[in-house]
Amino acid sequence: MTPSLVFDGVWKRFRRGQIHDSLRDLVPAMFRRIVGREPADHVDSRYFWALRDLSFEVMPGEVLGIIGGNGAGKSTTLKLLTKILEPTAGLVRTNGKIGALIEVSGGFHQDLTGRQNVFLQGAIMGMRKAEIQRKFDEIVEFSGIGDFIDTPVKRYSSGMNARLGFSIAAHLEPDILIIDEVLAVGDAEFQAKAFGRVQGMAKGGAPVVLVSHQLDRIAELCTKAILLEKGAVRTSGTAKHCIDEYLHGLNLNRREALVTDARIQFHGIVARDGLAVFSGEQMTVVVHGTADVNDPPRAWTPAFRIVDPKTGHDVHSVTGFQRGIPLPVRGEFEYELTLQMNVPPGVYDAQAFIWDSETNRHVTSSERLEIEVFEKMQFYGGTQMNTKWSAAKLASPVAAVPPSKHTNGRRSA
Amino acid sequence: MVVTASAEDSSRRYPQDLVARRGRRPSEPQTLHYGSTTGMTSTVSLERPPKPISRRDSLATIVAEVWHSRDLVTQFVLRDLTIRYTQAVMGFAWALLMPILIVGAGMMFRVVVATLSNTPLEGSSIASLAAKALPWAFFAGALSNATQSIIGNSNIVGKIYFPRESLPLASVLAQSPDLAVALVILTVILPFIGVGLSWAALWVIVVLLLLVTFTVGCALVLSCANLFFRDVKYIVQVALNFGVFATPVFFEPQMLGRKGAAIMLSLPLSPFVQAMDMAMIRGHNLLDVVTVATKKGPVVVWSPWMLAYALASAVLALYVGVRVFRRGSSRFAEMA
Repeated sequence: MTPSLVFDGVWKRFRRGQIHDSLRDLVPAMFRRIVGREPADHVDSRYFWALRDLSFEVMPGEVLGIIGGNGAGKSTTLKLLTKILEPTAGLVRTNGKIGALIEVSGGFHQDLTGRQNVFLQGAIMGMRKAEIQRKFDEIVEFSGIGDFIDTPVKRYSSGMNARLGFSIAAHLEPDILIIDEVLAVGDAEFQAKAFGRVQGMAKGGAPVVLVSHQLDRIAELCTKAILLEKGAVRTSGTAKHCIDEYLHGLNLNRREALVTDARIQFHGIVARDGLAVFSGEQMTVVVHGTADVNDPPRAWTPAFRIVDPKTGHDVHSVTGFQRGIPLPVRGEFEYELTLQMNVPPGVYDAQAFIWDSETNRHVTSSERLEIEVFEKMQFYGGTQMNTKWSAAKLASPVAAVPPSKHTNGRRSA
Repeated sequence: MVVTASAEDSSRRYPQDLVARRGRRPSEPQTLHYGSTTGMTSTVSLERPPKPISRRDSLATIVAEVWHSRDLVTQFVLRDLTIRYTQAVMGFAWALLMPILIVGAGMMFRVVVATLSNTPLEGSSIASLAAKALPWAFFAGALSNATQSIIGNSNIVGKIYFPRESLPLASVLAQSPDLAVALVILTVILPFIGVGLSWAALWVIVVLLLLVTFTVGCALVLSCANLFFRDVKYIVQVALNFGVFATPVFFEPQMLGRKGAAIMLSLPLSPFVQAMDMAMIRGHNLLDVVTVATKKGPVVVWSPWMLAYALASAVLALYVGVRVFRRGSSRFAEMA
């Protein structure tokens, strides 16, 4: 089987700023160059490598996730894939028609109606007019725009805008699908619909390259992943492995003001089996540090908490006093905590600390460890209950239908 | 640091010649082998920018790509027209505004010249002014729109891939309904001001096709240049404001005398402008030489060579335009 997508030793260099923005700047510069007062070659530091020696392959049926922080080179990679940019060195080879779910409403003109914009955006994305006409009703139905299709787009809400754009892109029928952060458009209902659509495309055998900050989406969709850092591959492998590595890096980079006390110090907090865990499953956190307390106050106790960083509230906290764990007094210490992560998918911070129950203060605390909880089986509500649901008796057995097929009755040929 | 052609690598051909790839940490390698399709390979330091791998598309590829995206060009044209005409209260009257203004300015110019030189104003001069105003209005309108076409669409140029030629091409084509409307109205008016059309007027079709080709070529170069040098649009505006004097729109070439006429007619846009007058108003076959008798002797105001000149400049402009544009378009997304 030939790969659908090949990146072979790709390097991409950008210029910092622009050398000559206008002819007014260019003419004196050229004059100086001729006279010889300025070296012909520009200073090397004006360039930087956005991508350095990136190689990967995507086979049909594979879903590749690309993760990394801002400026890691994710968007550059996608732009090289879609031919918007050309590599400085190396080879990008694609085998088939590329459909990019990037800037799905980028071509919209505010003064045109939704209908006109469907044709415009569709054409920009590479669809023929006849093709758009054939799929028009389906696109409108998927977007849920309804009667507003003949209203100028400037009167649309931003959600409607994005929904219509996504619907056009989702009907591209590409051989290779490239997705950049567009799964977060619209409300929760539309997001689920969009996600189902992408899942359907991926399951249909089209190779997918996905860039997202929604790590749970990456974990769920991707068969493999690469983690980029400063334009180079830091690690590659399974999605979970890359996400673990990524979160680990984030934790190392975290510099926040911590409560410290010279007598008890936390030196590290690590997740032994990785920082990513599926909702409802167990994870193990190891905390170590040193202590040198001469006269330990009775009110002090070791403690541990899981914080929801969005609200700042503890979703769970526990003290050593409750569990019979003594306060470390002298020398090195190490705790191991195993937690059943019965929380909804999302990002959580884990933190160990010493609690003073008299003053209700943290005496000293460890760094926060960012944990990503993924969705395994979908549920609503605030608590994971690992529901096991079996049907002992059913009046009329119903075949399982993938969610994307619920959305409309009509199917494209 | 030094660029050296290495003999042992010369057998390698792009893309297999990218040898500095695996097995080295991305932060370490400072040398990179690369080459071109000619088989030559060189070693350069990565601290110094390696020459970009030049990928030269053949003309056939480019034409095929643009032809393949004709629906996109149509959509861009429709977008431009819809915005221009549905928003404006005057609607299609806009199409006539530019030519009318040019004819008005030309008439003032003619009256001044006639008064100063004490010669009577020719009756057919308003008709020939109008005929010559049309190609100029088209050229000026198309170029000022097209120069901005890439910058004005930078939001999509930087995000979505499509043949970028479609943008300036659509800008030029969006100007053609204006030309068509003005041409039809002029044709209808001509009999009323005493100008009869002859079969020679069919030359107008050839001339306008050449004009569109020439304009597309210029539009490709200028839209690209405006992306790299943001002040190109001001230069274009100034050039278009005064460029009308570099064409025989406001006056007849014979007014400048024999030498002056020759110089005037050798300017790039003159054949198109002059041909409109010759074929449509004067009814001359463009394959004939046309001379006008003046006080200082006969002056050639048209020759078949000018048709060849128009053809050559149209083809050359398009070729240069396509080449320059393709060369620049690989960097559009970085500049836009």
